[in-house]
Amino acid sequence: MDIKSTTPLSGLFRTSPFKPVQEHMRTIFSCICFLPPLLDALYRKDYQQLAEFAEEIIKLESEADDIKQEFREHLPNTLLLPVDREDLLNLISDQDGLADLTEEIAKTLSYRDMEVPDPIKDLLDELLEGTMEISVAAKDMIERLDELLQVGFRGREQEKVSAMIAGVRRSEHNIDNIMYRIRRRLFECEKDLNPVDAMFWYQLISLIGSISDQAENVADRLLLFLSK
Amino acid sequence: MDIIAAYGTAFVILAIIFGLYMTWGIGANDLANAMGTSVGAGAVTLRQAICIAIIFEFSGAVIAGGHVTSTIRKGIIDPSSIVNSPEILVYGMLASLLAAAFWLMVASWKGWPVSTTHSIIGALIGFAIVGIGPDAVIWSKVGSVVGSWVVSPVVGGTISFLLVMSTRKLIFDTDDPLKNAKRYAPCYVFLVGFVISLVTMFKGLKHLKVDLSVPQSFGVAVIIGLITAGIGWYFIRRIEADREADRDFHFASVERVFAPMMLFTACAMAFAHGSNDVANGIGPLAAVVSIVSSGGEVMQKSELPIWILLLGGGGIVLGLITLGYRVMLTVGRKITELTPSRGFCAELAAATTVVIASRTGLPVSTTHILVGSVLGVGLARGIGALDLRVVFNIIVSWLVTLPAGAIMAMLFFFTLKGIFS
Repeated sequence: MDIKSTTPLSGLFRTSPFKPVQEHMRTIFSCICFLPPLLDALYRKDYQQLAEFAEEIIKLESEADDIKQEFREHLPNTLLLPVDREDLLNLISDQDGLADLTEEIAKTLSYRDMEVPDPIKDLLDELLEGTMEISVAAKDMIERLDELLQVGFRGREQEKVSAMIAGVRRSEHNIDNIMYRIRRRLFECEKDLNPVDAMFWYQLISLIGSISDQAENVADRLLLFLSK
Repeated sequence: MDIIAAYGTAFVILAIIFGLYMTWGIGANDLANAMGTSVGAGAVTLRQAICIAIIFEFSGAVIAGGHVTSTIRKGIIDPSSIVNSPEILVYGMLASLLAAAFWLMVASWKGWPVSTTHSIIGALIGFAIVGIGPDAVIWSKVGSVVGSWVVSPVVGGTISFLLVMSTRKLIFDTDDPLKNAKRYAPCYVFLVGFVISLVTMFKGLKHLKVDLSVPQSFGVAVIIGLITAGIGWYFIRRIEADREADRDFHFASVERVFAPMMLFTACAMAFAHGSNDVANGIGPLAAVVSIVSSGGEVMQKSELPIWILLLGGGGIVLGLITLGYRVMLTVGRKITELTPSRGFCAELAAATTVVIASRTGLPVSTTHILVGSVLGVGLARGIGALDLRVVFNIIVSWLVTLPAGAIMAMLFFFTLKGIFS
């Protein structure tokens, strides 16, 4: 006769929901990491390579989608979680928004063979740098979930993560400023551009800027964990 | 009286066989569950877990197993109305053992989370109702036992909640968690030795001819606590910060301090389990032996012979080494989410609760208390995810096990009565 375990203990423990959330964030971060080489290819007008990078981004975005889907399917509402289930689901969909934006940028760039107008180059670099910075900050924040769990989302860890969240907010504010300047610059030189090109650049810049807005959303969502 | 005289030896042999079978089942499943937590947390290897279980289950049964045994043996059923036909009580005890063991077998086969304690209590009640009459059941005692099934997991949960909070306050949420972990670890280990031994010794060792006064109990408990703390200190003194692991998870080194500490709670769990669950198997056996050896005295005034406790401990150990180790591995593999620090808190809370219940003579379910303790950690926001459906399953298993044990005990009772009378 086969003795099965009759313990309710093994059914009690479920995989920590924070692991897939972190896995998801890591995937998204590697997706965002393709943005600098993508734009670099654009600068060099190497459209072949640009298409390859765009392909990578699309692949990673769909990987992140799978993680999100899997996560949602394995989060029944009978679970006792240290954070609100709704907040957790919203967090992962906010994270997913980052991947969606990155994919959108990659796709938009692959629709038309574009040339970067010289006057906005330096500001575009600055914007990209700021975006990478805020993405790293968002990822580091999510990586602290293990430590937060260990201390019950309180005390010193809470302060550390609160500081990280504040850091993300500051970066976002900084990027808003860059966005303003780059749009002004674009306005100044738009008469020299093909009108369709000009529209495309406005759209692209707004998309890149949205990444930092979305990173701030992720940070705000995490703040809910701390204030429960 | 004639039946007892004629079949006395047969009854005792049957009771020993059924009792051994029952304790074997308890060892194969129940004990394995209790020990699986330590294995799962990676604190002890399977081999170590088995050695710990053998030593401490045995000592738990012999040193502290008497009180619950006495409850099962003579606390649930009042046999005063059948003084002239003691064989009824013998059939009943045999039937109850057989029913509980049989129900456990079915449950193990199906994988239902039933408790040995609930099975035997259900069986005893079932037999008493049909064999003697509803009045023979000491309902007030049954009430307090059933009440303890609800209260004990809550108590376990509360203790573990407080323990988790204390580890945060003293260790994790400080500027130098590793230093504080090494400083306070011996205190926590002291607590394990002190609490378990104090509860056990507090006016509870009369059957071993040891009668300690209150200050003496405290003194001995402090000494035992200090000894365990010393051993604990010896284990953790060399643990250094592992920068590589800490980069990935900030508290990795601290958890490493808690791993050897779980060794002590594993011992405490085995001891607690022995002190409470061994009675499920040997309580009815003790009753049969007492009735037969006294020539039909149903009121069972005789002392509980030590050999019965030894037999019970032996049966449990046998169950563990023949089948239980496999269950232990399966359970351990499934609960890797429990890190050593949380596992320590949950196990210490559970062991303490069980030992208190044992001392009070209340038969409780070790597994359910452990579930309660783990939920306490969860409520302290310390575990990623716990599935509350388990709580629902436990309640269903209570509702099913009590009548199932009762009905089977009735059937076995009439069968045995038909064979012998």
